[in-house]
Amino acid sequence: MIEYILKIKRKIRPVWRDRWVWIMAWRDARKNFSRLFLLVASLITGIAAVVSIGSLNYSLQDTLDQNAKELLGADLVINSNKKFEKEIISTLDTANLTRAGDAEMASMVMFMNTRQSRLVKLTALYGDFPFYGTLETQPFNAYKLMKGGRYAMLDESLARQYEISSEDSIKVGNSIFRVAGVVTKIPGGGALTSTIAPSVYIAMQDLDSTGLVQFGSRVSYRLFVKTNSNDETEKTINTIKPIVKKAGYSYETVERRKEGLGRSFRSVYQFFSMLAFIALILGCIGVASSVHIYAREKRDEVAVLRCIGSSGWQAFNIYFIQIFFLGLLGSVLGAGVGALIQKIIPIVFSNFIPAEFAFAISWGAIAEGVVLGVFVSVLFAILPLVAIRFVPPLTVLRSESTPTKTFSKMRWTAIVLIVLFPFVAAAYQTQSLITGLIFAVGIGAALGLLALVAMGLLKLIRKFFPKKASFVFRHALSNLYRPNNQTRILMVTIGLGGFIIATLNIVQNSLLGQVEFTGNKNQSNTILFDIQPSQKEGVIKLIKDHHLPLNQVVPIVTCRIQELKGKSVQTLMLDTTRKIPEWALTREYRVTYRDSLHRSEEMLKGEVQYYKPNQKDSIGVTISEGMQESLNVTVGDSLVFDIQGVPLKAFISGIRKVEWPKDPPNFIFVFPNGVIDNAPQIWVATTKVGEASESNRFQQELVMGFPNVSLVDLRLILSTVENLFGKISVVIRFLALFSIVTGLVVLAGAVVNSKFVRIRENVLLRTIGARSRQIMQITLIEYAYLGLFSALTGIILSLAGGWALCRFFFEVRLGVAWLDLSLVGITVMLLTVFIGWFNSREVISTPPLQVLRKE
Amino acid sequence: MAEILLSVEHLTKAYPSGGRELVVLDHVSFTVEQGSRLALIGPSGSGKTTLLGLCAGLDVPTSGTVSLMGVKLNAMDEDDRAYLRNQYTGFVFQNFQLLSTLTAIENVMVPLEIRGERNVEPKAKELLARVGLGDRLDHYPSQLSGGEQQRVAIARAFITAPKILFADEPTGNLDEENAKQVIDLLFGINGEEKTTLVLVTHNIELANKTDRILQMKGGKIVDERILVTA
Repeated sequence: MIEYILKIKRKIRPVWRDRWVWIMAWRDARKNFSRLFLLVASLITGIAAVVSIGSLNYSLQDTLDQNAKELLGADLVINSNKKFEKEIISTLDTANLTRAGDAEMASMVMFMNTRQSRLVKLTALYGDFPFYGTLETQPFNAYKLMKGGRYAMLDESLARQYEISSEDSIKVGNSIFRVAGVVTKIPGGGALTSTIAPSVYIAMQDLDSTGLVQFGSRVSYRLFVKTNSNDETEKTINTIKPIVKKAGYSYETVERRKEGLGRSFRSVYQFFSMLAFIALILGCIGVASSVHIYAREKRDEVAVLRCIGSSGWQAFNIYFIQIFFLGLLGSVLGAGVGALIQKIIPIVFSNFIPAEFAFAISWGAIAEGVVLGVFVSVLFAILPLVAIRFVPPLTVLRSESTPTKTFSKMRWTAIVLIVLFPFVAAAYQTQSLITGLIFAVGIGAALGLLALVAMGLLKLIRKFFPKKASFVFRHALSNLYRPNNQTRILMVTIGLGGFIIATLNIVQNSLLGQVEFTGNKNQSNTILFDIQPSQKEGVIKLIKDHHLPLNQVVPIVTCRIQELKGKSVQTLMLDTTRKIPEWALTREYRVTYRDSLHRSEEMLKGEVQYYKPNQKDSIGVTISEGMQESLNVTVGDSLVFDIQGVPLKAFISGIRKVEWPKDPPNFIFVFPNGVIDNAPQIWVATTKVGEASESNRFQQELVMGFPNVSLVDLRLILSTVENLFGKISVVIRFLALFSIVTGLVVLAGAVVNSKFVRIRENVLLRTIGARSRQIMQITLIEYAYLGLFSALTGIILSLAGGWALCRFFFEVRLGVAWLDLSLVGITVMLLTVFIGWFNSREVISTPPLQVLRKE
Repeated sequence: MAEILLSVEHLTKAYPSGGRELVVLDHVSFTVEQGSRLALIGPSGSGKTTLLGLCAGLDVPTSGTVSLMGVKLNAMDEDDRAYLRNQYTGFVFQNFQLLSTLTAIENVMVPLEIRGERNVEPKAKELLARVGLGDRLDHYPSQLSGGEQQRVAIARAFITAPKILFADEPTGNLDEENAKQVIDLLFGINGEEKTTLVLVTHNIELANKTDRILQMKGGKIVDERILVTA
């Protein structure tokens, strides 16, 4: 006998040169498209969210860059809350710079055609503003007419609301103006601000005749300056800086406005990015769960391939190629859907975005989306696919064979990358490492908790299994923990979907609750401010004549802080280690005086403000809790106030908790009676006005008798705010839809994938005599359990998440609408049951023999 | 003088079971010469299938060695063993083990395609015609009967012209008529190609068609019979 002696020289072909794996990938995929379609669907929704929101950001950035000067209307704007002093005007004139200016204040106007009145933002203009962009009006010569005097222009929305046309008249203060036309576009403006306070424009030379500018009136002045270059702007800033600092002015340049706008949009963008991130993470879960189940189903076929000579890498590559190309397909489709949505967003946003913003499809965002989609599909597929490499060929003989090796560098690399991915993705999406970390930890915690709850629940079900329940209930319940069940993955995905929807709902309710007008019987809904002392009695009489309640009549004195705890504000400002913010030290405070607490106040520490003329610490003032933290003061600390030029030393006697929205106005500092009573002051009165007609009559008489007194109708503000929230929530829900749709796709995917396991089980049940109805009941009850447990977990987690967001992010009190949350829970459960039922119809209708033969 | 194709020495396989070791093969030794036909018979749990798996390099022994064509399988890694299987062995299983997503002809072509060979379709067609399935080339396994599926498996096993064919209960899932057809095909092609055959079966009739029978019980070879075949 002789023996063979062979030498094994196995050639290793790289994947791109191994023709067979490409052929096999295609052949195998032909019959598996339907299963992998769910992977594609997960990617489509996730990437669509990323691309549409990415495109939005690119568009905003582009617009900001292209229209920066138009956003400001000038190269430099100087702001002041008092009339500009001659020094600054002469400095600008000496530099031979072109300037224009305006004065802005809140005022009541009366529309003479209907005798209705409304609080508006009155803007008095002079000079050739704007220097950049155009102030567009209808008719086109309205601005020219207005400049000539005795004419006013109105915001388009205001004119439309009160049906004002050219040649109608409005009464502003003591003067009547003819309407020159409407302003359709003005640089620096946005539809959002004019929704809250629409503007009326008059010429500056007409302002004095209105009699609106009196002592205590809050007027903002602006100087618009045109320079010839950025260098000249810088030079001008350097020249005026000492004057600006001395006079307490502030200034804004094109660059600063750009940054400011960028910051505002960044907050909005970050919120939307969070939604995109969640959609992406859900997409990743969809990819991972689809591939996990796919790889498990392929185990037997891989064993055959290994048996007839395929290497582990070849087997891996077959499925990797499939996932890669399907990932690419899903990403391209997702990017396409995202681009399409980008076209829809401007329609949804139209009321909030200035006309200057142009929405364009961003190829950068599309490319990013495609690359991200392929990366995500590969990353989240690798972990389940690596298992294919280690399928033992012995499985062809013994299906229970276990791999002898499971460790590989690739597996560990994938695990590390997957752990890092949420953080990197969130940081990239939100362009902030900290936000990225918070999002990633938040989502990680939510996912972890959901998984823990799912595991705990399964243990509890096994431990406290209702053995005496009916067959259908027992079988449905035990399906939750049987081998090959999808309970954990389903609970995590459904629960996460419920968590997101419920959290959004809680945040929205909390924000609305902050401004909600409770409708309390004595709650004020109308505030009259800027009442001069000489007008006080007249206004009170007017309120009483209209049989309206006089809820508050409070004096307001303006002052600044001069010294804090023995240190002058100037000294504190020079201290680089101070923790007190600059604005708290330099701002103007509007204070009042009284000897008792208002109903919106509660003493937290110390005692109510006092005045003890003969004692050393004779004047005790109280401070609101938030400002007490900002100024870092406590009971007993001393302050020196500058009451319009007169220094006044006082001590903190107590700290008040203030419910700011409740019965305004409320105050940071409250003085005792007898100290500042004689300081220059204005008065504010609050009342409650009933129906609109009553309100209109009262407003008309107020405007006629006291033209400088402004009236704020809280009902109008409330409805505007509610309207704004309504519109914003449409946008939020629209974008949250991505997350929800992705969650549903993942849910459908998990259910469809588990269907193949269920078919066999249910067929066996039917073979041994179970009726179709019983199987249907088992299926429905099982998915009802899943939906119920998932929704409950998601909602409970959302209470924690909502609380954290309200407390730390939005800084508002938690407001929960239990009815809404119950509806969310019921909807999630019904959707789960519906998808479960929809996908199980085939299981129920398939004849047993057909399946048994396949076996 | 016949060449030794397969050599098994002191082969032992044990699995951990309930904290103890369950020995399913206990110091088994034998050789198989090229062109011979060997049947492994014995009751369920006697270790036949485990022995077949170890001989084919589908699993690794706890101790002892398996040499296939002079190459010790224990010393090789899994991918090298897969390569060896692809180059020199063929398989026929009780439950056919066809790839459900591939058509009959694609299933037959796979082993050659793994090698990187091209234009293998004519050869696959020829083999399928030889097993009587020339008109079922593009049918998927789910569209074929059990007997037809096993015939596809036989065609797949022979397409590489293997030196040795391992068959695990090839008629175990078939009715009498189909079983007869499959046996005729298996032994017919085996005879023509002079392929070495290692067969695991419960079927004494089938075992009697081989040259040599090893009777197994409790993980050991308890009897060996040399048969004279026509």
